[in-house]
Amino acid sequence: MTFKKRYLRLVHLLFIVLLLIQLLPDKLSGDTYAQYVVWFAVGVEILTLIVSSFIKKPIGLTLFVDIVSFIYGLLIAWTLATAKFNLLKPALFPPPGRVFWQLIGDYEKIITNIFSSVGIILQGYLLAAAAAIILGLLLGSSERLGNVATYISKFLGAIPPIVYIPYGIALLPTFRSVSVFVIFLATFWPVLAGTMSGVMNVDKKTIDSAKVLNVGKITMLFSVILPASLEMIGAQSGLGYYIKNYSDLGDYTRTLVGLIVIGIVIVVISFVFNKIQKYLLRWKH
Amino acid sequence: MSKIEINNLTVDYTEKKNRFTALKNVSFSIEDGEFVSVIGSSGCGKSTLLSILEGINTPTAGEILINGEPIRGTGTDRGVVFQHYSLFPWMTARKNVAFGIKQVNKDASRTERLKIADEFLEKVGLEGFKNKYPSQLSGGMQQRVAIARALAMDTDILLMDEPFGAIDAKNRTILQELLLELWEGDGTGARKTVVFVTHDIDEAILLSDKIVMMTANPGQVYSEIKVPFDRPRNRAELVQTQEYNQFRNKLLAMFYSDIVSKIGGDEVVL
Repeated sequence: MTFKKRYLRLVHLLFIVLLLIQLLPDKLSGDTYAQYVVWFAVGVEILTLIVSSFIKKPIGLTLFVDIVSFIYGLLIAWTLATAKFNLLKPALFPPPGRVFWQLIGDYEKIITNIFSSVGIILQGYLLAAAAAIILGLLLGSSERLGNVATYISKFLGAIPPIVYIPYGIALLPTFRSVSVFVIFLATFWPVLAGTMSGVMNVDKKTIDSAKVLNVGKITMLFSVILPASLEMIGAQSGLGYYIKNYSDLGDYTRTLVGLIVIGIVIVVISFVFNKIQKYLLRWKH
Repeated sequence: MSKIEINNLTVDYTEKKNRFTALKNVSFSIEDGEFVSVIGSSGCGKSTLLSILEGINTPTAGEILINGEPIRGTGTDRGVVFQHYSLFPWMTARKNVAFGIKQVNKDASRTERLKIADEFLEKVGLEGFKNKYPSQLSGGMQQRVAIARALAMDTDILLMDEPFGAIDAKNRTILQELLLELWEGDGTGARKTVVFVTHDIDEAILLSDKIVMMTANPGQVYSEIKVPFDRPRNRAELVQTQEYNQFRNKLLAMFYSDIVSKIGGDEVVL
């Protein structure tokens, strides 16, 4: 990549604009903690410059700077609408500096929360995925059972997982186990439905190829049918769905701080899952 | 006792209330180590016949005996190559072959299986592609892997259902010669019994000891013809001989006389 392509980008102009607008007089009363916005922006800018110097693929760089541009644009609009022109209700829309200030003040609590939330998600998700995939493979192998179970899982999957919370609280000992239980249910039905539909749609040629090799029942299930339906399991079910659910459930603080943290956690998790999915399906072109 | 005996095999299908007979009273036998081609126009039931031999289909009446025992489902005595590339797309070429070996030879260790797989991939000229996934290989290469898998499983019987049907003319020629070479070996070892379904007369002549010609509606055996050419065969030399052309013309005449009589004679322009 040329120097121009690497470093002369709109994103850096947006960074300068973001810094300059901090110099405008505040219209909002009280401290707006503009210095936190500046620190945050400088941090992001340094990261951007580092990434710009080391990244190899032009497409990757473009994606990265586009995301950063979006963050800068959002911060510019947010700063102007709150601190600088006071267009929105401050109680509902605090200026970005205050949010960053709060984020830093609460960082210990936030980090603990992230770890416990990710633990809950992984536990609920992995338990549900394992159970649903095994059950789906077994049920999907029988056309009759598979058909009826598909309808039942679609019906039960349509119930919002939040509905289960009171049952969980009544039946389970801790709030943590309730959370795991709710994530479990939110994941279980769609993964089950996806697995069964994957299993029932495996190409007959693939099954025949395996049959003439004399594969046993277990090998057929786990070494042939499971990988053959893997794409369907990933695409139709789980990952995206459960991430969306987590954001429904995770919005417990109802603060912008919470939203930002959750947003970042979700982006990271979906990135990791994307990589895993890509690895598992590496045999597709 | 013949290696494979097909006795009065009849297969009826019911499709949307219409019953039709794919095979009717088909009988013939195949000797141990014999290369037999089953040839006929589409709809003559040749693939149905093979699917029963494979054990993934069952006949309405009649039976097939292998070594005197009736077929019950698939078996480790038969290796299969389909027309569609029957490799598992999530396994590399090498893993595909090793997976086949594992099903017939449970005792072999992983290292042994991979070693045998490499050996056979080398035989089909794919040593440089063993870690590629099927989607990264051409159709001809995928079929080479399928052949390597079937051979590496080292079964007594090899069943091939139009294995080169979807491959371009040039590669088909190369694969036919490869198969011939691998099957004939150096002439000292025991040869596998092969049942090879095709609609290509030249392919059948080049490869087979015996050709079973079938007719359609219903699928029946029309004729069994011994191929009178010595082995090892060389295509380039063989096709130039007068005997080859006479034999080929005789087969073509039989092939088309059947078609003409089936669809009603004079109007048919060939």
